[in-house]
Amino acid sequence: MKVVVDYDLCEANAVCMRILPEVFQVDNQDSLNVLVENPPESMRDKLKEAVRLCPRQAITIAED
Amino acid sequence: MSTKDLDLANPQSFDGGFPHEYLRRLRREDPVHWNETKFEPERNGRGFWNITKYEDVKMISRSPHIFSSEEGGTNIFDVPAEDMEGLRALLINMDPPRHVKYRRLVAHNFTPRQIQKLEGHIRELAREIIDDVAERGSCDFINDIAAQLPMKTIMEIVGVPEEDQKQVFDLSNKLVGFDDPEFGNFEEGRMAAAQVCMYANKLREAVAECPMDNLGSALYHGKVDGESLDPLQYNYFFLLLMIAGNETTRTMTAHGMRLLMEHPEERQKLIDDPSLIPNAVEEFLRHNPPVMHFRRTLMQDFELRGKLMKKGQRLVIWYPSANRDEDVFPDPDRFDVTRKIPEHLGLGTGEHYCLGASFARAQLRAIFHELLTRLPDIELAGPIRYLHSNFIQGIKEMPVHYTPVKRVGLSADQTSVEATSSGGCPMHNAATGTAHA
Repeated sequence: MKVVVDYDLCEANAVCMRILPEVFQVDNQDSLNVLVENPPESMRDKLKEAVRLCPRQAITIAED
Repeated sequence: MSTKDLDLANPQSFDGGFPHEYLRRLRREDPVHWNETKFEPERNGRGFWNITKYEDVKMISRSPHIFSSEEGGTNIFDVPAEDMEGLRALLINMDPPRHVKYRRLVAHNFTPRQIQKLEGHIRELAREIIDDVAERGSCDFINDIAAQLPMKTIMEIVGVPEEDQKQVFDLSNKLVGFDDPEFGNFEEGRMAAAQVCMYANKLREAVAECPMDNLGSALYHGKVDGESLDPLQYNYFFLLLMIAGNETTRTMTAHGMRLLMEHPEERQKLIDDPSLIPNAVEEFLRHNPPVMHFRRTLMQDFELRGKLMKKGQRLVIWYPSANRDEDVFPDPDRFDVTRKIPEHLGLGTGEHYCLGASFARAQLRAIFHELLTRLPDIELAGPIRYLHSNFIQGIKEMPVHYTPVKRVGLSADQTSVEATSSGGCPMHNAATGTAHA
């Protein structure tokens, strides 16, 4: 499972960071950093929530 | 069309407030509903699909390749082909990939981080606005309070100097209120648009000579595919920012106050615990989203809940209905500032998710913080007058009274902004350029 962010869409609304701060971090320059590119299976539900709630649909999950 | 059907193309259907009862029936009995219309058939054709369920509004908002904003615009009615060409210069009437490129010109000015930098200033402005009415004991909530903060902040962000703000503000009101005779008619709306564009031209020339740290300047100096915006595109961008920046937040402030006056027990919760204000703002947006609908045009045949919608047909997504979908929000009509709100659609979602979402939230939190701490007993002092519109749930007038209180004046922070605001440019913008940058 791999987190993919489309940086053409991301506007740093930080919704994902509120859901999963272990994986998503919006830095001082307003860029989104993916801290864990291949998160463990245990985070799948929260990751799916982040995908679902991102208002700009910038996040997808790619399967290995 | 049964006799009980409302024609949602007709603004009259909204004169008694948003027709929640009718939309509740549609959600239950016919959630994808063909709205046959006889209202202004030259603009509205035979009809359109009303989309009422939360999941459907969300899916449609997130599938711009099937449900286009660019093809026929976002107005419920069709506009003449020659006008449509121009309207496609507005961000709301664009589809990806074009939309992504143009939105990027301004998106970074509205990120939560950028807005956070302005929060102190927004709070100062909110304090001043309440100061201006505090000692009077009564005022018109709309013009004296709700309209003020959105106007001042969007003008500052864009770079309209203070002496011009009232003029641009009055013009922008005519642009959305054209269904309401008090604001003029469609022709006058067009005239107002032309005048706003003329003003935008002036601003454009000023920032061309002298780049500034504001949105008006960023739009001029920014590039899309290596090219600058042409004058028409620039003017339309300005136009959209003025409309979107004023009308929506003003309306949300007005309805937020109305809801709190109608629900004293909910208001008391916020007075007792101001940390609930951010959640209350989300509940305002869920319960009474200022923008009632946008239209999309089908780019292909699409079947939804057993209805076959045909390529080229129009569909209209109703946000107030989606936000009261019983399948998503328990007891949806209840106004509850402590409600846990998973994700309302009051600011849209997907490709056209409100660009100013963080900006609006910061303003709403600031003004309600002031209102609840300084004018906690504000009450209606006369009838509320609503805007005649099926697009914006606008309020034109809302007289209120309250116990007069003393002004609190400017803080040190505010004076420092003014002290550093001198600059060589003719249209220098104090708020966004200096102390808070």
